[in-house]
Amino acid sequence: MKPRSLNLLPYLLISPGFLLALFIIGYPFLDLLRTSTHEVSRFGISLRFNGVENFAKVFADPLFRESLGRTLWWTGLIVGGTNLISLPLAMLLNQNFYGRGLARAIIMLPWSVSLTMSAIVWRWTLNAEYGMLNSLLQKLGIISSPIAWLARGELAFPIAILIGILVSIPFTTTVYLGGLSSLPEDIYEAARLEGASAFQQFLRLTFPLIRPFVNIAIVLNVIYVFNSFPIIWVLTEGGPADSTQILVTYLYKLAFRLGRIGEAAAVSLVMLLILFIFTFVYLKLQSKESEI
Amino acid sequence: MRKRQHSLLIWLALSPLMLVILFPFVVMFLTSIKPRSEVFTYPPRWLPSTLRWQNFIEMWQAVDFGTALGNSIVVSLGATVVVLVVGIPAAYALARFTFSAKRPFQQFLLVTQMLSPILLVLGLFHLVVSLGLVDNKYALIFVYAAFNVAFGVWMLQSYFGAIPVELEEAALIDGCNRRGAILRVFVPLAIPAIVVTAIFTFINSWNEFVVALTLLRSDENFTLPLRIFSLVGGRYTVEWQQVMAATLLATLPVAAVFTWLQRYLVRGMMMGAIK
Repeated sequence: MKPRSLNLLPYLLISPGFLLALFIIGYPFLDLLRTSTHEVSRFGISLRFNGVENFAKVFADPLFRESLGRTLWWTGLIVGGTNLISLPLAMLLNQNFYGRGLARAIIMLPWSVSLTMSAIVWRWTLNAEYGMLNSLLQKLGIISSPIAWLARGELAFPIAILIGILVSIPFTTTVYLGGLSSLPEDIYEAARLEGASAFQQFLRLTFPLIRPFVNIAIVLNVIYVFNSFPIIWVLTEGGPADSTQILVTYLYKLAFRLGRIGEAAAVSLVMLLILFIFTFVYLKLQSKESEI
Repeated sequence: MRKRQHSLLIWLALSPLMLVILFPFVVMFLTSIKPRSEVFTYPPRWLPSTLRWQNFIEMWQAVDFGTALGNSIVVSLGATVVVLVVGIPAAYALARFTFSAKRPFQQFLLVTQMLSPILLVLGLFHLVVSLGLVDNKYALIFVYAAFNVAFGVWMLQSYFGAIPVELEEAALIDGCNRRGAILRVFVPLAIPAIVVTAIFTFINSWNEFVVALTLLRSDENFTLPLRIFSLVGGRYTVEWQQVMAATLLATLPVAAVFTWLQRYLVRGMMMGAIK
């Protein structure tokens, strides 16, 4: 009797967490599967099974394809830009210098502020008439007349991407700092004795050794950024004229503004599939590489 | 002397990024203490002629800040408690037992991390509708908790694993029963991990936007991010000095706690990641 009850104990311990997550995350997932394959009224009532009709409608919608393309740019540029800035930044912050604690605290600051709040502050900062950014740029003589930053997609979207990079830097830098602090000091001493330059040390020692952290930073950032909703929603709500729409805002608009529930569910599933494929392929490629 | 020079160079290299990071905070602060007439002048002026702290009092009443603050506290605290109640036992099981469902459970948690609220938002909405809990802020507690369980268990487990099991075994040999060993030996050592997990769950819930936007309907139930967004989104006249005052008040306490705790988060994440 005794060993049996011991075996059950871990199951008993994990079951509350398991059931909570299963119910609140599993049920919506099943609901999406059902909704995406049904014709659904504006009020969420399923009318009839319609197979892949919703998916077909979504793929035929030019706005879906535009949003998908924009999402790839959005994710690629933010994750790429963030990592390109964060690695050198982490190497700087890993040095021993006066005021390092303060420097780290400032760099980490945007992480603690919710994306919603950051985006609200930026929306005001970018205000065409009264915004401080125009005022600053005019005072510095960089621009002669105020710019309506958010009035056109060609300008608003790159700005949203820059804000995305800015708010992703703290997390990514933190991952790299963790990686750098785990490096042994003695191999660098050996490298210096052998006459390796700083650049060689980075290429041959630092980068290969923190490779696992680069992978963590890329995978987690891709998931976060691909799913990131508040920046665009607060800045432009996907507008003007859908010119800054990415998949998450398109999905939200379909579901809660246009009442095209079935199609919204289809978009959700397509996005999930993209994420799963990315994560799976990326991790597979990485594990293959490390075998070689 | 060399270190001083070195420090100066590093600060110089960091300064452009720091300026960009601090710029919105400066804007937020300066706007929040400007008289309304100076917020809406063209060309904009940087420094206020007088420090108008009344903006905060006016904002508090106009925005009904207290109610939103209360909602945010209730929802975030509630979610934190739920995450700890279900997360601590699960993390303990993962750190201390080998059982056949261990890997599958960890993979399940990983998958729940990828199913972000925004992708499930339509299904979540249907779930909440079918339970009759639309516009109920207490429903948010369980939604936030569910989405934070994976992270919480991950953090807790990585810290728990670092507590030597021999200490508990020694307590058992000394005549403690299992519960006594856990309560007297394990829990005191685990408190830092629990505190860190609690605070990060709290901050995550405090900052959440899309689920609140979808599930809440009436002003008196809004959490802070939603309340402040509602002052900006889809409006012709925005009282920016009040919005910035509200943003500042909603942001500063969390930023302070976060700055203080940030290094513990890193340690927990890294321990979890490397294993």
